[in-house]
Amino acid sequence: MSGIGPVEPGDDTRAREAPPPRPRGRLLLRYERHRRTVLASTAVLAVMAGGGYLYASRPQPRPASAPPYPSQAIDLVYVTPATGSPATAAGGFGFTVLLSVRSGPPVTVTRLTQPYDGLSMTSSPAAPFQTKSHSARKITVTLRVTECEKAPRNPGLPFLDVTLRNTRAIEAHSFILGARYAQDLSQALEVACGNDSR
Amino acid sequence: MPGKGLIVRQRSLIAITAALAAGALTLTACGSRDDDGGSDSGNGGGGGTTVVIGVDAPLTGDLSALGLGIKNSVDLAAKTANKEKTVDGITFKVEALDDQGQPSVGQQNATKLVADDDVLGVVGPLNSSVGESMQKVFDTAKLVEVSPANTNPALTQGVDWQKEKVRPYKSYFRTATTDAIQGPFAAQYVYNDAKKKKVFVIDDKKTYGAGLAATFTDEFKKLGGQVAGTEHINPDTKDFNAVATKVKNSGADVVYYGGEYPQAGPLSKQIKAAGAKIPVVGGDGIYSADFIKLAGASGTGDLATSVGAPVEELPSAKEFVANYKAAGYKEAYEAYGGYSYDSAWAIIEAVKKVVEDNDGKLPDDARAKVTEAMQNVSFDGVTGKVSFDEFGDATNKQLTVYAVKNGAWGSVKSGTYTG
Repeated sequence: MSGIGPVEPGDDTRAREAPPPRPRGRLLLRYERHRRTVLASTAVLAVMAGGGYLYASRPQPRPASAPPYPSQAIDLVYVTPATGSPATAAGGFGFTVLLSVRSGPPVTVTRLTQPYDGLSMTSSPAAPFQTKSHSARKITVTLRVTECEKAPRNPGLPFLDVTLRNTRAIEAHSFILGARYAQDLSQALEVACGNDSR
Repeated sequence: MPGKGLIVRQRSLIAITAALAAGALTLTACGSRDDDGGSDSGNGGGGGTTVVIGVDAPLTGDLSALGLGIKNSVDLAAKTANKEKTVDGITFKVEALDDQGQPSVGQQNATKLVADDDVLGVVGPLNSSVGESMQKVFDTAKLVEVSPANTNPALTQGVDWQKEKVRPYKSYFRTATTDAIQGPFAAQYVYNDAKKKKVFVIDDKKTYGAGLAATFTDEFKKLGGQVAGTEHINPDTKDFNAVATKVKNSGADVVYYGGEYPQAGPLSKQIKAAGAKIPVVGGDGIYSADFIKLAGASGTGDLATSVGAPVEELPSAKEFVANYKAAGYKEAYEAYGGYSYDSAWAIIEAVKKVVEDNDGKLPDDARAKVTEAMQNVSFDGVTGKVSFDEFGDATNKQLTVYAVKNGAWGSVKSGTYTG
């Protein structure tokens, strides 16, 4: 046998007769009979399934974010001493602060106080008052010494304590008005209680 | 030749496949995601150039709870930037080094980070004393450093900050508020709200602890409060019985401790055990869940001030908390997690600015440019608006008083510095 001749048939290389067709199952027969209906139903089901998935996973509009807490929505800064005001003339220390609502719904100041013993405080406008979003309001604050014995000497970073309310929350927050306020307050205390021996 | 049955089956298959394919295409076409343009690329990074954000923090030892929270939060920021491709063509990586809370180790780490040219910014450290040891190394290399936790005022305002503020290093920034505000804030709360008038002041003699105790004491006295006694402790010991006895005998109605929780916890416990049932108050260094564990049940009523507003008041912080949890970090983000994320994000924003100004590539003098860009960085971060003043201090200066109640810290009062 030459090397190029056809390979002699072995046991597994002989052509065999095709096996007789297997008897078709009842399901297959029914399928062939209703092929169009089955195909149409499958397509409808696939589209419905896709539609269902789409509906379930459709992009949801982001839930409206909750408004900020009032203390995170406002600024309260010291502006200047209110010289020449009736309160100052009567021995009080008057000054203005600027309250700005940066974002969110209107903010109501329900309480405005100072934390020190020996001092009392009034404000104009008096609390409660509301400030709208993206607007600012000047508040005139007047402090009066009621007891020099108890009043602070020269606080370094004095506070104003404010209770704030918006549609999100009511919260108490301190505003530390900085060095200028501290100096002006200390000076006013010195004037009011300078001759007092403490 | 295939028989007729096979053709029918093939046609059926084609029809079904077509229907399913149509459905799938419809899904793809209509199911567009949010408005982010589908930029989600996992952690695959933003592209070819790698920028390393260094981290220096105590990753082992007593303070590792805080340090690991810092490291993980920076990692989360880098992953987020890569996923969102915040800086085109840049992939951020994090290289974290352990300073063990030791200034000398921190300085060695600073040298290592400077030696790696890929490092364009560093987040850390935790301790002010460590920060002090690193500042010059970074500044010489014009490598920007953003600390999420250093609160000693001298780091940004110079050693004579009470008389004249002079910024010592242009490359140093921080997202945390300084003790120039934290100490007085605590004093005001203790004196005015808690109505405590006689304090015993203790510190650990370290830059942070001694500095904080000093600013507290100064304000407490200005308000009219009385200092019943002062003591320094050795942070290497946990036996504070002698100091606890002195506190008891002083008649103080409150203790202020300048230092960190590994000592503050046992100190609180031993002060109460000595018979002085008075609150121990500290700064952000004791605001850790570990303090409560160490102080035990008698620590109920102890107080701490910490930087920032309570997490529940900041929607951005809530998102950070959720993402941190989803990322699966083993350790808690602790007190400085949000500030660490914001510190890392400040570096990312500065890198972005530098790349955008240089036609989408990093310039040769990238470190100097990133340091320069940091001064004008401004974004809405986890902790609120993040930007820096002329000293490199955070412009957002919020603080909160927390109290131990039912085995956990709960917020009591917050304040904002608006001076």
